[in-house]
Amino acid sequence: MSDEPRVLPFPSEEDDDAVLGAHIAAMYRGYPARSQADADRCAREVIARAKAQPAWRALVPRQRWWWGAAAAAVLVVVTMRPWRPDASDEAGRVFTSAAREATTPPGAAAGSPGGAMARSPQGTITSLDGGDTVRFDLRLATEPKDVSLVGDFNGWDESATPMLRRNGDETWSAQISLSPGRHVYAFVVDGQQWLVDPLAPQVPDAGFGPANAVVIEGQR
Amino acid sequence: MTDAELVARTRTGDADAFGALVSRYYDACWRFAYHMLGERADADDVVQDAFMRAYLAIGRYDERDQFRGWLFRILTNQCRNAITSRSRRSRRFVQDEVAIESATSPSVGLQLGVEDAALARALAQLDPLQREALLLKYAEGLEYTEMSRMTGVGESALKMRVKRGSERLRALLGTLDV
Repeated sequence: MSDEPRVLPFPSEEDDDAVLGAHIAAMYRGYPARSQADADRCAREVIARAKAQPAWRALVPRQRWWWGAAAAAVLVVVTMRPWRPDASDEAGRVFTSAAREATTPPGAAAGSPGGAMARSPQGTITSLDGGDTVRFDLRLATEPKDVSLVGDFNGWDESATPMLRRNGDETWSAQISLSPGRHVYAFVVDGQQWLVDPLAPQVPDAGFGPANAVVIEGQR
Repeated sequence: MTDAELVARTRTGDADAFGALVSRYYDACWRFAYHMLGERADADDVVQDAFMRAYLAIGRYDERDQFRGWLFRILTNQCRNAITSRSRRSRRFVQDEVAIESATSPSVGLQLGVEDAALARALAQLDPLQREALLLKYAEGLEYTEMSRMTGVGESALKMRVKRGSERLRALLGTLDV
């Protein structure tokens, strides 16, 4: 072969693209066709692979973006989940509703409920005076005229235990004496709306309205 | 039997109907995949994967589309995935290099096989997206509208790819030392 580069008879820059296209098409079709046996083998293998696939594969999205979207959704849910107060701050003296089974140890000293209430958007139960007296606090975003505490300890009487609004914030409080044991309670706003602490343990609705929260005071 | 009839029968579980579709388009698909990938084994795998995806997704096939266009849409995506996943490879069209080396003197005029091999070799050196556009345009003879629907790329971008690819191809062929 010559040492000089060979100039192939392809169109120069001035030639029409159609000439180049025709060369490509001719080259493309110049390759030998695949045999029918190759096509048959391909079809058989596709059918066999499709039948071997587990049924759940058909339900899983194949697009790669789907996995990214799912991961982003999980991240958003984890980040935006409702904040819940940490009951451990008060060393067992203040029992927030997030504590699923609030227990008042006999003889426990009064805590400092103000700190917890400042952070808690829901109800708080605090043991006072050595454990027999319990204070119920309820923080509301609205401004009702009156709020009362009802429960099995006062016969569900809306007028028996009115709650008083503290000065300077939206917290309503009531102090009652409770014997150790399980108690069921709720709040009544403006004499009409029965309110259940959403973060406290709840009992099934017995047909009298929304489910009520449960407090267990002390050990039997 | 038309493509639509074969698709309808495939949807009812008729494996023979799907086999007929594969027989009808296997050669065209393999030819495209081979020129995109440059390796017979890769072309075999990609074509089979493309038919596999088509078989699994045939329930979502819209009869208003041409089956060939729909199938090629899957195939072009599979080729892109294959190119991405094996980008570490640098050599393509191995058998064509052998053909070039075994070619005789061009003093009287190039043999067609040598010319084709040189063109294939130059095509293999193009950017994959330019190669895809040139093959769809010139080898498959598609209009830009069809190419756009198939690849999801705008017509202007495809025209630019064909133009740039043609210029690059001419430059490669002009400097090709055989």
